[in-house]
Order: sequence, then structure tokens, then C-alpha cells
Amino acid sequence: MGRIPGIVLLGGALLALATVALWRGRPKRPRRDGGYVTGLDVGTEKPANFVVRWLTTVDHRDIGVLYLLLGTVAALWGGVDGMMIRTELLTPTTTVWDVETYNALFTTHGLTMLLFFVTPVFTGIANYFLPILIGADDMAFPRINAIAFWLLPPSLALVRGGLITEVLGKGLEFVGVSVPILLDMRPVEMGWTMYTPMTAEMANPQIDVTLLGLHLSGIATTIAAINVIVTVFCERDEDVGWANLDIFSWGMLTTSAIVLFAFPVLGSALVMLLLDRNFGTSFFAVEGGGPELWQHLFWFFGHPEVYILVLPAFSLISYVLPKLVGRHLFGFRFVVYSTLAIGVLSFGVWAHHMFVLGMHPQLRAAFMVTSLSIAVPSAVKTFNWIATMWYGRLRLSAPFLFCAAGVGIFAIGGVTGVFTAVIPYDMRVHDTLYVVGHFHLIIMAIIPFSMFAASYFWFPLLTGRLYDRRLARAQALTMIPGVLLTFLPMLVMGNDGMPRRYAEYPEIYHPHQIVASIGALLIGVSVVLWLINMIQSYRIGIPVRDADVWDLKETNQFSREWRWFERRLAKQGGAAVGEAPEPEAETRQAEAMVEDWDEDDESDQSGGDASDAGDDHADDDHDAGDDHADDPANRGGADEGQGE
Amino acid sequence: MDTQRVVSVIAAGVVATGVISGTLIMLEVQMRYAMHLFDAVARFVGLPGQRFLGFVIYSFAGVVVWPLAFLALRPYLPRGPDPAAQGAVFATALWVVFVITGSGGLDGPILVVYLVFTLLAHWAYGFTLGAVYGYLTGETPTARGEPAAW
Repeated sequence: MGRIPGIVLLGGALLALATVALWRGRPKRPRRDGGYVTGLDVGTEKPANFVVRWLTTVDHRDIGVLYLLLGTVAALWGGVDGMMIRTELLTPTTTVWDVETYNALFTTHGLTMLLFFVTPVFTGIANYFLPILIGADDMAFPRINAIAFWLLPPSLALVRGGLITEVLGKGLEFVGVSVPILLDMRPVEMGWTMYTPMTAEMANPQIDVTLLGLHLSGIATTIAAINVIVTVFCERDEDVGWANLDIFSWGMLTTSAIVLFAFPVLGSALVMLLLDRNFGTSFFAVEGGGPELWQHLFWFFGHPEVYILVLPAFSLISYVLPKLVGRHLFGFRFVVYSTLAIGVLSFGVWAHHMFVLGMHPQLRAAFMVTSLSIAVPSAVKTFNWIATMWYGRLRLSAPFLFCAAGVGIFAIGGVTGVFTAVIPYDMRVHDTLYVVGHFHLIIMAIIPFSMFAASYFWFPLLTGRLYDRRLARAQALTMIPGVLLTFLPMLVMGNDGMPRRYAEYPEIYHPHQIVASIGALLIGVSVVLWLINMIQSYRIGIPVRDADVWDLKETNQFSREWRWFERRLAKQGGAAVGEAPEPEAETRQAEAMVEDWDEDDESDQSGGDASDAGDDHADDDHDAGDDHADDPANRGGADEGQGE
Repeated sequence: MDTQRVVSVIAAGVVATGVISGTLIMLEVQMRYAMHLFDAVARFVGLPGQRFLGFVIYSFAGVVVWPLAFLALRPYLPRGPDPAAQGAVFATALWVVFVITGSGGLDGPILVVYLVFTLLAHWAYGFTLGAVYGYLTGETPTARGEPAAW
């Protein structure tokens, strides 16, 4: 028995199965005649069981919320990495953590933040709002949507496996079981760029697991992108044409198109690296493609990736800012064009990451030109945002503060980026803290700022409750100086020649590093404030009674998602009245959300009709006779009529 | 003190102890064992060096002693009527004692990190304790009367 090879046994078993199948014949199935399937109850109710409901949901709004939760967890985890990096750099020598830990920190910080924080959060926002904004029932492929999300938690676990396996390993040791491989898998220390030949030769087995996790997250992101593209192309309501597609959907569409072309390149490169590491191929060996090949492939993904991160942020700012300042987006069409231009140009700039590699000078100059030219559409957006705010009614609400500060700090980050696109200056600052400062002024400013702005702007819609206005403003006013304090010193140090990714540094930079770490502490405090506000307001915030929390009807910007919210509120009206807060609290509600009221003298601005439930797009903004027509004299209590 | 509240608060203690334990374990591993958190726990319960026994007593305190103390002290704690906010205040007091007895030989930057993260872990404990207790007993207010209560 022991002599018979396994393949023979397996073949025999399969043959036996095939014989049985042939003998029994094909199963009798009813013929399809094009009629209706009967006897199948397709319920639309969500399961009552909380766990089953959230594990099996295919509803775009639920999946959006799951994305947002995952993104928040990843952001907090990556944020702990960031705080640990700053702690190490409080002292010029490695006194806090060791060099290996430091290397692991900046690696996992980068990977977590890019692939598991920013992308999922924007995908989550898109999942929740995009179908509502374009008048679709759901995403185009709801089940694939769920799959795309559920690939992410395992890929996060794989990428950050070193720590998780260690917790498992130590736990098992605690109960007396020893599994050495769990402890051998250490957090990866290769940097988020994973340059070969280093990564091909590092022994840590966790690197393979991380590469698999990255590949899996790439698959998830690509699937989600395809879903977004198909949804925007095929699921728009009749009255949503390309001409009046909202700016956020344009942004997500372009982003998804970039994902579609960029992520497969990363996936291929990762598979090649895995093969090099484990199966003796030589894609990135000197005798094969050479280590440079990795850099070309990686940056052909890597540079578009930064636009994958930032374009949704741009479009969120373009969407939210006009509503907060009471004006329409200045130059809407050019903002769309600039989005598309960035989408195309983003693929033509990858080699500026490789200026010091020894490229042919003419080729290098060509890449310098394309890299400089991508600043033009970005500047178009910036000027349009500024022009939108011009003569607008600025109310210093938390989301506005985040939008305005996001635009301002993006200008700093963008201009410092122009410098790195210029060959001679790039030679000077390549691989220094200057580069780190530059990109963090973008990815730590406009990206999370737009997310914070969106989280406050849509909080009433998402939760049906109002957030704490004072706490939110405190959060904005800690976050903004925190970001500047953390990353501006890096520009100075980098320009002076301080390399990035070093746990030790000359004494002369000690003050800069201290300032940066204090800034990071401010960011940390700010994030905690945000978390407290979100959790507490979700639990016990004041219920929303009037869907027009941002006073959008007044400026004709009561957009589709708010109209949808208004219909929902109207539907719940009967139930909600029973547990209405006392009138005094309700009066404060209006004050809570819309700060710095200026008593505009309009007498009969429009308002969506709360009674038009079910009538999606019947003349949206100009219904007369709504049940809570704005009455400036009764501003504070304008919502008392709502829902009754 | 009625039975339903005691049972609720102990159930909340189980959840909250789970939360803080998970947080501390992840922190300890993430920090590459530089914080010696479990030694601190052992010192905190008066058994320096005996981590396992220390862990048992720590669990008992987290599940039974602190929740009952929370229940008894709740009328006097600020940030009411939300039990979760009161729990966070309560846990801040616990944290003060924890860092006094448990910071050991840490100093410099790592002490700052230790203080911040142990405070956050304690807040997570207290908040969970109060939130679960409020959920089980229905004592969580449905809406805050004042927008800026925090």
C-alpha cells in the first residue's frame, strides 16, 4: 500500500467518481422555458441577527460603512506606527526602539496608510454616496462589491502578519504549545518601495506573506474600481448625464480608471518578486531584468498611486467646499478636465523617482517636463477652490476649516513637489527628509482633511444625529498646526541633507526633530478628539429633525443625497416624533450645525418638499409650499415643523 | 443595589477587560516589548515578577472589583448622565494609580509613549464598561441636551 503513489490513488478515486456519475446519468433538472421561477422567496429585509447581517450584507451603504470602519482601524494602527517613529526620533541615538523596529515601523506605516487606510476610506465613501448621487439603486455588482471588501481584512492581516503571528505565537507559548514559525515571522523592514535586490535577498519569511497580502489588496482595490466604473457608466438615473454628473463621481471615476491600469502592474511585479524569492527566477537579478526593472514597474504603479490617493480628496473638497461657502464650484468644467488630465498624466511621470539612477539626460529631461506639467491641472483646481471661496459666505465650521486648511497646505505640498520634479534640485534632496516632508504635506493634509470634512459634513446623514460642534472645531484647530509643525521641519532638515529612513541623526537636527514630534503629538490628540466626537455623537448626539442641516436650500445646493435623506427623515417622521428631544434642545440643534449665522434677507428660498417621498427627481429644488419653508425670523426653530 | 445592575456591570466588566487586554497585548507586541506592560500589571497588583498570578488578579479586578466600584461611585462621577463618559472619568483615576505603581524603570521619550497609550487603553476600558452597562440597563440617555456637553 505504501508503495502506491498518491497520484495513482487520486486518479483512481476520480475515475470511480466519474464512473458513478456516468452510470447515474445527468441529474434531472427542470427545463428552462423563460418563465418565472416560483417558490423562491427573495427577501429584501436584512437579517435580524447583527453578526449575520454585517457579515453577509451586499447593500452598498452597509459595505461603505464596513470600508470606513476598516479604514479607521488601519489608520489608527498606522498612526501608532507613526507616533512610534516620532518617539524614536526624539533622541539622536536609538534609545527608544532598536534599528530593526524602526525599519519595520516606517515600512508598515507606509503600507498600512496607503493601501489600508486611504484607499478603503475613499472606496467606502464612494460606496455609500456614489449610488445615491447618481440615482442608482446600488452598485452595479453588489455581491462583487462585498467580495472586494472582504478581501481586505485578510490582506491587512497578511501584510501586518509579523505582529499578529507573534501575538498568536506568544499566546500559544503561554498555554504550553510552541510553534517556532510564528515567532520567526518578524515585521517586515524593507520600506514601502520594496526595492530589489534587497527584498529578493532578505531572509524574513514574513516578506513573502506581506507580498501576498499586498497582491490580495491590489485585487480587492481593482475589483472595487471596476465596480465604480461600471456603476457610473451604466447605473446613472435618466436625469444624470455626463454634463451634470457631480464632481465627486467624476473624481471617483477617474481614480478607478487609474486603479484599473496601475494596480495590475503592481500585482505583476509582486508575483515576479515572489517568484524570484522562492522559485529561483531572475526577473530582478542582475543577470536577468536587473534591479532597475523593479523600480520601473514599481513606480509605474507607485506614482499613479499617489493620484489614486489624492484625486478622491480633491473631488471631495470640490464637492463639499461650495456647499459650505454657499457658492457653486467655480469653473466646474475645468475642475473635471483637470481631474481627467491628472488621470492621464499620472502615468507619464514615474521616472522622476529615478532621476539619480543614471538615466539618459534627454530622457530625464522629458520626465522632468511631464512631472512639471502635472502641476498645471493641480493648480487649476487650487485656483478654482480659492475662487469658489471668494465672496462666499464663510462660516468657520469644522468641515470648512478642514477644506480651507487642506487647500492651503496642499499648496505648500504641491509647490515643494515642483521642486522635486526639477532634476538638479531633486539630485540634492533625493532620499532625504525633504521628500518625506513634501509628500506628507499632501497626504497628511488634503487627504485626511477632506475625509474629516466629509465625516462632519455627512455625519447627520450617516447617523441621523448631529456632531459636537465645539469639539469638532477644537479638533480642526489642533490638527492643522499639528500637521504643519510635524512636516515643515522635515523640509528644512532634508534640504540640509538629512537622509530619510535613519533612526539616528546628527545632534544638530535635534531641535527640528523635537518640533516635529510635538506636532505629531498634536495630530494624535486631534485624532482622539475626532474619535470621541464620532463615537459619542453617534451614541447620544441630538437627532436630526431637518435634513437641511447645512442650509443648502438657500443656495440651491440641496443635492441628491440630502434630498434622499430628507425623504428618509420624512418616512421615519412618525416614529421619531415620539422620542423627540425637548424643544429647547431642538432649538439649539440649528445653532449647533450652522455656525455664525448671518441673517440673510431672503424671504422665499427654495426647499425640497418633505412630502415628495418616492418621487426621486421631481423638480428638486424649487418646490413651493414645503412644510418648513425657511423663515428667517424663525431661524433657530425653523425645524420645529419638520417631521410632524 | 439591585441584582440586575450588578449583573449588567459585571458583564460590562468582562467586555471591558477583554478590550483593555487586547489593546495592551497589541501595544506590547507593536512596541517590541519595550514597555514591559505585563510586568507593570504584576507590580500594579502587588506581585512583582509573578506575571501569571498577576494576570489572574488583574482579570478579577477588571471584571469584578472595578465594575462594582464604578457602580457605587457613579452618582458622584462627573460627565453624567452618560455612563460611558463617566466610565472614562473613572478609568482616568484608575490610570493614575496604574502609572504610579507600574511605570517601573521607564524614562525619557518612552515614558511619554507609555503614559499616552496606557491612558488611551484605560479610557477604552472605562468607556466600554460604561457603554455596555448603559446598553444593558437602558441608562444611556437617548440624546444629549446640549451640543457642547463635552
